[in-house]
Amino acid sequence: MSNTTNILDNFSRIKFYCDTNRCIECHGCDVACKEAHHLPVGVNRRRVVVLNEGQVGKESAVSIACMHCSDAPCAQVCPVDCFYIRADGIVLHDKKTCIGCAYCLYACPFGAPQFPKNGVFESRGSMDKCTFCAGGPEETNSKEEYELYGQNRIAEGKVPMCASMCSTKALLAGSSEEVANIITHRATMRGENIPNAVPNVWKTAYGN
Amino acid sequence: MKTIKTFLLMLFIAFSNLAFAANPSVPQEGGKQYAEVIKGNDTLMVNPMNKNLYGGPEVEAIKNWGIHSPNAVGWGNIFTILQGNYFSTIFAIIVILVPLAFLTHFMVVGQKKFEHGKKIRVFSNYNIIVHWCAAVPFVVLCLTGLVMIFGDKLGGGSFVRFARDVHGIATILFVIFGVLMFLMWIKHALFRAYDIQWLMIMGGYLSKEKKPVPAGKFNAGQKMWFWVCTVGGFIMAISGAYMYFQFADIETLRMMALLHNVLGFLVIALLITHIYMAVFAIEGALNSIIDGHMGEEEIAILHSYYYKEINAA
Ligand code: SF4
Ligand code: SF4
Repeated sequence: MSNTTNILDNFSRIKFYCDTNRCIECHGCDVACKEAHHLPVGVNRRRVVVLNEGQVGKESAVSIACMHCSDAPCAQVCPVDCFYIRADGIVLHDKKTCIGCAYCLYACPFGAPQFPKNGVFESRGSMDKCTFCAGGPEETNSKEEYELYGQNRIAEGKVPMCASMCSTKALLAGSSEEVANIITHRATMRGENIPNAVPNVWKTAYGN
Repeated sequence: MKTIKTFLLMLFIAFSNLAFAANPSVPQEGGKQYAEVIKGNDTLMVNPMNKNLYGGPEVEAIKNWGIHSPNAVGWGNIFTILQGNYFSTIFAIIVILVPLAFLTHFMVVGQKKFEHGKKIRVFSNYNIIVHWCAAVPFVVLCLTGLVMIFGDKLGGGSFVRFARDVHGIATILFVIFGVLMFLMWIKHALFRAYDIQWLMIMGGYLSKEKKPVPAGKFNAGQKMWFWVCTVGGFIMAISGAYMYFQFADIETLRMMALLHNVLGFLVIALLITHIYMAVFAIEGALNSIIDGHMGEEEIAILHSYYYKEINAA
């Protein structure tokens, strides 16, 4: 809790950052996420994607999930208004209100919303997405919360599963300040031009 | 005959042994086990996720999500702005203002009344059945669609989810009877030169006068409605199917969602119009599609060209 207060004192929000200089496409993060939250087949809250596969010098891997945007497009388009954004920036939604219309998917730049197929007509169940390992609107650490949203590691004082599992520490999760410090440090060590190394897309992707 | 069979069987066994030999990791005791191993692998291999939606193409699509994106203008931002700020408001305006406009019309101009003396049969039983079998699911589609649009006002959850499922089932019925209706009336719904005249006098609905109106079996308004509800309805069904099954890349899905909503405006506005015209604007007009008969005077005035046709025959 004290951590959260600190973050808020700094006007800092939680962020993910995947350092493509380090990601080795081991799929540790997406497997860890699936396992920790018992996600059904077809639901991948986190995905590792290889770009420019096989092109020497150009190939890179990136791990993507919900980016917990401050102006989350999903929350803007949901016809039943089931999203809520916590003070620390975690974007969560209520699966009991969700109707599985997939509008959030159309709005999301990162393809974060996932839809399990269920029922006779292969109809979509409630949307599922990365919770930053922070559960959902049900009572914290309750059985119901666990069943609907998976483990609430934030409430337990733990780092999100994917980032904690990342073997090369390419995937960073935390307050924007912490994450930015680590990346700046790494870039300095490599002797890189810092403004180039720090994710300059944050402004456009997240605001703030 | 028998020798050929035995020969084929031997050939088959020889080849299947070859196949086993080529894959030493697979247990070789019998064809059944082999088949099972391969099938097991297949189910593991199949990626239940749509590869066009998740993975490389999806990451590429991030670069053209927005209006100011570096690569190209994508539909993601446009969809977010329209759906987030305008769609439900526009639907609300339509369902409030269109009926209000007709209420004003009803009070100012009033109902058209005709003598109900002589009746002429205009619709066959087949016409009537197909019309209603398409109409009922159509109305259900519009209503359940509106339930989803105003889902936040209705609290979301199981009720709205139920509406979504009904929306899907009603589509199947509408498509079947929609096709039949399309085939049955397409000839009468083709536009003719006199339809322009009809449009210029707004079908004569702005005055109380009883002057013959230029129209065939269907007037220009009905024809417009016919095309919007059949062709438009099929486009709605197709774009809805894309959204429902998610079998395209993300940009296509976004376009389909936009199309579905924009056509939705038109469909709902015209459905209200159709209901008003049939139930309120002309006294007893609804009867023609219930028992198939229309008053002679009504035909003579509102469908004057059709009246001439009947009399010529
Ligand atoms: S799928 Fe659920 S969360 Fe997403 S927009 Fe629809 S109702 Fe909202
Ligand atoms: S933060 Fe948790 S839920 Fe989100 S991708 Fe990582 S492990 Fe999965």
